Amino acid sequence: MSRNNGMDRRQLLKLAGLSAAGLGLTAAGCGSGSGGSGGPVTIRHAWWGADDRAKKVQQCVGLFEKKHPKIKVKTDFQQYPDFWKKFNTQAAGGNPPDVIQNAVTFLRKYEAKNVLLDLGPQAEKGNLDLGGFRSGLEKFAEIDGKLLGVPVGSNSMALVIDEKVYEKAGITPEAGWTWDDWYAALRKIKDGQKIAGDAGPYGVMYLYDLILRQNGKAFFTEDGMGFGEAELLPYWTEALERVEAGLYADPGKVEQIKPASATAKGLSAGEFTWDNFSVRYSAEGSSSYGLAPIPSTDGKKTGQYLGSLMLSGTARTEHPAEVATFISFMTHDPEVARIMGYDRGVPATTAQFEAFQPTDAPSKAIAAYETSIADAGVLEPITPHPAGADVIEAAFLRIGADLALGKTSPKDSVKQFFSEAKTALAAN
Amino acid sequence: MTHIQISPGAVAPWDGRSVPERSGPGDGPPPNGAKGTGRGENLAGYLFMSPWIAGFLFLIAGPMVFSLYLSFTEYNLFEAPRWIGLRNFTDMFADPRWRQSVKVTSWYVLIGTPVKLAAALAVAMLLAQKRWGQSFYRAAFYAPSLIGASVSAAIVWRALFSDDAIVDRTQKVLGFEAGGWIGDPEMIIYALIALTVWQFGAPMVIFLAGLKQVPQELYEAAEMDGAGRRRKFFHITLPMISPVLFFNVLLETIHSFQIFGSAYIVSNGSCGPADATLVYTCYLYEQGFVNSRMGFASAMGWLLLVAVGLVTAVLFRSQKRWVHYEEGGR
Repeated sequence: MSRNNGMDRRQLLKLAGLSAAGLGLTAAGCGSGSGGSGGPVTIRHAWWGADDRAKKVQQCVGLFEKKHPKIKVKTDFQQYPDFWKKFNTQAAGGNPPDVIQNAVTFLRKYEAKNVLLDLGPQAEKGNLDLGGFRSGLEKFAEIDGKLLGVPVGSNSMALVIDEKVYEKAGITPEAGWTWDDWYAALRKIKDGQKIAGDAGPYGVMYLYDLILRQNGKAFFTEDGMGFGEAELLPYWTEALERVEAGLYADPGKVEQIKPASATAKGLSAGEFTWDNFSVRYSAEGSSSYGLAPIPSTDGKKTGQYLGSLMLSGTARTEHPAEVATFISFMTHDPEVARIMGYDRGVPATTAQFEAFQPTDAPSKAIAAYETSIADAGVLEPITPHPAGADVIEAAFLRIGADLALGKTSPKDSVKQFFSEAKTALAAN
Repeated sequence: MTHIQISPGAVAPWDGRSVPERSGPGDGPPPNGAKGTGRGENLAGYLFMSPWIAGFLFLIAGPMVFSLYLSFTEYNLFEAPRWIGLRNFTDMFADPRWRQSVKVTSWYVLIGTPVKLAAALAVAMLLAQKRWGQSFYRAAFYAPSLIGASVSAAIVWRALFSDDAIVDRTQKVLGFEAGGWIGDPEMIIYALIALTVWQFGAPMVIFLAGLKQVPQELYEAAEMDGAGRRRKFFHITLPMISPVLFFNVLLETIHSFQIFGSAYIVSNGSCGPADATLVYTCYLYEQGFVNSRMGFASAMGWLLLVAVGLVTAVLFRSQKRWVHYEEGGR
């Protein structure tokens, strides 16, 4: 009597092995068309951000649909990295959303691929109002005569600090302080308060861009890298020393609390980030948080510029007029400003800027910070980043973290970064 | 005798005539012609299969052929693929991150698979004994396999192995000040391996079925000859269940090569820190969907297929040495 039934199923096994091995090879993009003529027109709007932004945008969309009953807006949102993966696939499949939230890093990339809609003609037809923008922001996304986006808000890099720690350490950051002042402050905080002074700036591309600008260079030129190994090697070598000295937060711990902020979680007394992000700190952490000026090399020039989130249309949309109407509404309507607050930065148009009067401390701090750097006259124009800049930004962040974790030497890290940057510029 | 019986009426849409050739003399039914397997029925059979055939052609075979072509091109999804010959492959071998991904994946497969199978076999042997409440234990040990591959389990894993979470605190009680594993490039891979080992339920069930098939009289005879537990395990149990073991080794190895979700989620989408969880598919995904290098990603995919195919072939070859089939197996 044999009980080994099924032992003779090697043919089946072979099949099973083969088909299992074949998994993971197939990746297919698909899409479905939308549209139609007559009756209400539907446009699709997608953005990146957290839940609270989604709620706000949804509210604005409801308002828009009420005022424009002929236009329906379908919405979709993801977190930042996922948003671009999805958008990239949709755009490649010829089915991108009609209106997207956008940033300067992506303008040339998608312009080169003919994905973005030139909003210029729509402005001429009167569907898009380009009046009333603060400090020339309406030109922010103009590349080679094409208007590829309209800013919804402006933001700037800032040093977010844990005010309680700074106070206890007896440090008052002031406009005009230098990197040497800042390093001295880090040491004082480390010695007196037993906490790292910064979360670790070595991977923050936008901060390194400012440092380069303070020295007459920039992270990107129009079509490539604006700096070389000679600049990056000393920067990362010093960074590693500061990690080892405990002036920058323990990278292993920073890694574990992601995506939360290291400063809000008490791992460091401060970190460099966009000023509008500071809204989330008081929700995430238990201290009180403020915005400090960016240190400079010469005590004057911070290299700062207005960054901006914008709304862009996509070139394949069947409803460019409705797209323009929606963007115009989102950038000018005072009610939208009251709903959005400083979620995407300080509103880009004067009408919206005046419509929202901040009452909470973080928003007030942002308004004060933006006014102070505008008054200080430090703002410079920004060059739209070359195609592939998003990949390079991610590589800078990742390789910076690897370096801090002690996995690679500064020299190898620098080499790896420029090798990946070269590939990214060629591939995009 | 539970050998699979093949009767001609049950084989449409296959050609009934091939059946007698396959079965041994006297084993199958007489070659009595193909009753009721005419052309019309063949056609009907294929028609019923057509959704599957269409799916296979358009969703699997087509994209596979296309990805084979893409692996020799540079393709960023937007511009037409540009033929670059073998450059994706030479780039790959020169790429330190690709080598890292191979290293991480090999480590994961080489450590995770044997440990998982050992755990599965050990628990299966405990559960094979006749005891009160065994079906409850079987269900309890199988449960992680049902939820282990899910996103939520990976999120829980990330929480368990972080600083000051349960694993870290247990370590401290035992006197290790090692910190959480998630932020440690040396340790995080073991958190992933622990996650796969924890899901030993599926191979366990298969082992259990195999163990139940081992004839009790063999053990009884061995006991009479004075064999101890070790001897019985190595000389009866292991050889008797070797086909089942082979099946499990094969499936788990192939499965391990394809790890993606748990690495992606436990590392919070970074496959880090310091590329410590950069498993092969994670890097493939990053190159394809983040860096828009679909040609490179396709080349990586095909290389994975070849590698898994080779490993599978080696395993099949190795059968001769350690897998014992009854009933005319080699």
